[in-house]
Amino acid sequence: MENLIKELQIKIVDVLNLIDVQPDEIKVDNQLVGGDLGIDSIDVLEMVIMIEKDYGVKIDNRELGVKVFATLGTLAEYIHKSSPELPN
Amino acid sequence: MGIISPLGKGIPKTREAIQKSLTGIGPLTLFPTASHPPLPVGEAAGPIEDESLSRTHQLARLAADQAMAKSKETLDAVVMGVTTGGMLTTEALLKKKARDPELFCLHATGSVAEDIARRYRCTGPALTVSTACSSGAAAIKIALEMLRSGSAKRVLAGGADSLCRLTYYGFNSLQLVDPDGARPFDQNRRGMSVAEGAAVLLLVANEPHNAVAEILGAGLSCDAYHPATPHPRGQGALAAMQAAIEDAGISVADIDYINLHGTGTLDNDISEARAIDTLYDRQKPLMSSVKGAFGHSLAAAGAIEAVVCAISISNSLVPATVGCRHPDPDLKLDPVIQLTQRPIGTVLSNSFGFGGNNAAVVFSACGKHKPNRTCAQIQPMAILGSACATGAGNTSQTMKAIAAGKTCTGMLGIEEISANLSAGDVRRLKRFPRLALSLAIAAHENSGEGDDPSAVFLGTGWGALSETSDFLTRLFETNEQFPSPIDFIGSVHNAAAGQIAMRFQATGANITMTGGDYSFEQALMAAGLLSNSIDDTFLVIGADESHPTLSRLFDRSVSGSAILSDGGSALCLKAGPSASGFTIQPVFFESRENNPEVIASLIQRLERPQQINDRYGVILAGLPAACRREGEMQLQTLLAITGFNQPVIDYRKLTGEFASASAVAAVMAVEFLQGGLIPEPLCKDKPVELGAKGALIIGTGDFITAMEVMPQ
Repeated sequence: MENLIKELQIKIVDVLNLIDVQPDEIKVDNQLVGGDLGIDSIDVLEMVIMIEKDYGVKIDNRELGVKVFATLGTLAEYIHKSSPELPN
Repeated sequence: MGIISPLGKGIPKTREAIQKSLTGIGPLTLFPTASHPPLPVGEAAGPIEDESLSRTHQLARLAADQAMAKSKETLDAVVMGVTTGGMLTTEALLKKKARDPELFCLHATGSVAEDIARRYRCTGPALTVSTACSSGAAAIKIALEMLRSGSAKRVLAGGADSLCRLTYYGFNSLQLVDPDGARPFDQNRRGMSVAEGAAVLLLVANEPHNAVAEILGAGLSCDAYHPATPHPRGQGALAAMQAAIEDAGISVADIDYINLHGTGTLDNDISEARAIDTLYDRQKPLMSSVKGAFGHSLAAAGAIEAVVCAISISNSLVPATVGCRHPDPDLKLDPVIQLTQRPIGTVLSNSFGFGGNNAAVVFSACGKHKPNRTCAQIQPMAILGSACATGAGNTSQTMKAIAAGKTCTGMLGIEEISANLSAGDVRRLKRFPRLALSLAIAAHENSGEGDDPSAVFLGTGWGALSETSDFLTRLFETNEQFPSPIDFIGSVHNAAAGQIAMRFQATGANITMTGGDYSFEQALMAAGLLSNSIDDTFLVIGADESHPTLSRLFDRSVSGSAILSDGGSALCLKAGPSASGFTIQPVFFESRENNPEVIASLIQRLERPQQINDRYGVILAGLPAACRREGEMQLQTLLAITGFNQPVIDYRKLTGEFASASAVAAVMAVEFLQGGLIPEPLCKDKPVELGAKGALIIGTGDFITAMEVMPQ
């Protein structure tokens, strides 16, 4: 789980081109979207594609998205639980 | 009027489909989908015969032929809203790595209007509006202003877009496509259905006896809020509707029917419903969206719905909101669910698009209202500030090079382009939007104006090539599974103008024109036509990025260039005279095709106030490489007839080849006038003093254009 979180921190900074954010500044329990990081709804969609591509996990409706992208922690947990590509 | 849509070709078929509340939405068959079952789309019905022509061009011709079937008089102008252009063909070519520029000759969005103009031997302007999903309605607004200004008496206006992978996969990547087909304003709606089609209207200044309906007015606005999501309270939508109603000279109570934008996405329908709620504090008129029937044909939608509005008026009907079974109670909208027969005198039609771009048009039965006509010609616009960028650098670096007679070819590094932008500004912006935003900020800063500009006019030959290329590359590399939503939003031609609006909170008109080598001229013309209603300052920008692969494929002038060049400029302008000193005005725009006397008409136009040698101290001539020989002949003819004996600057030799190079020429003109002379290396022997004379910027090639920069 810890590795997944580290991996996600790096991927999020890279995919969203968060020029002025260091990966470890994305905290596990902080608000991921609409907070200080400047991540918005378009970024969420870009992350949705990344998560489907890299982990085989689909997040295809807004209600689910709101829950999953609440924090980095909820995101990692959802991927961990749902990914066919990660050991459960 | 002419129309082709998923509901069929021609007015009778369209009317019949509306009367039966049919839908044209069904699973995609136009191209195979690699990784999932085809989603519902609106494919244009009926055979498309000519396979050598891009699908958008075919759709536009099929619609235009109907509109022109009974018309024998010549057209003064063609104004088309187009966003996908030849993209369907281009995608297939790029997928198989085709590298012959000839194959991409109909990629340009601007080539659709040009094709239609040639088809009917129209020698006037062929303009292309590319404001995403409001393009068709914005094109009608620009055509209306051309008629009002007296610069045209007969204009063919409309919109056309074919389906393509970019829009099909792009909207799906944004989770904006309803897998069950669009259900506008339904409580279970999940999105839109991407569609295609074309509609064209022949607009005539003096009401003929056989007119179908009248366009009373139109309004434009920009949310200046978000690149792809409408303002949650519908502020921009409301502003466009209010502007249209005011422009039409009517009141909200006069409207019998509102043809809603109503895409069926969660956000659009909420935003639009709230805007309507604010517009009407009492009884609302009948309202419906036809996008559950036609789908959302993007740039064509506003024009298709203009035809629907005319059918509504002439047949006393309100179309059903096909697809909506259980209206969403939260929207408090009460859309018309079943076709309703009722006399309809006045209709408001909404079109909203990416970049927060909004347009609304008011139609009425002929003679029902007194037309709210103004007859102002395009006036000179005061230049308050300017900025440019070329391969040589920013304005001062560029002008220093030019004053020394050195070329400014090449491309700046992305860091240099972004020098006046913050990390937050640029995170999601690639080369073209950075260039445009950076120029806009620099021009505004140069103006010294404290207040922000309220409207934006941007001309670009090719738009966001990096985003387009990156979107398609990733789409194909991932077997069409993982396209980038950010690149899709950025690929839209008017995304950059939307960013500029957000930066300045510019909530007025936001127009992007894509007319190839004459895009900046088209943007300036749009600004001139609309500037009467803009009280504040506004920006006119011309910019193009050079892309390592696509520029040589798309732009014939770049195909043969050894060096890739790009750049552009921005002007901060204000309507009417000002103390600042200089003005700019578009003065001529005609095609060379079917127009052997084009240079003579240009001279007649230019010499009307005074002889060319007395009026201008310099000519800046644009000769695109692809038609250099033709351009040289045109220029020589002009010089020979007028006997112009002062410096003539072949500016593309200085700027390099890119579609909006004329924007840089405009800033060169401003700088020369400010300095009072043409620097020595650009003259035959010694520097030439300008005195009280101005500068003439000529475009040559397929079109002959002229803009003048004059001292006041």
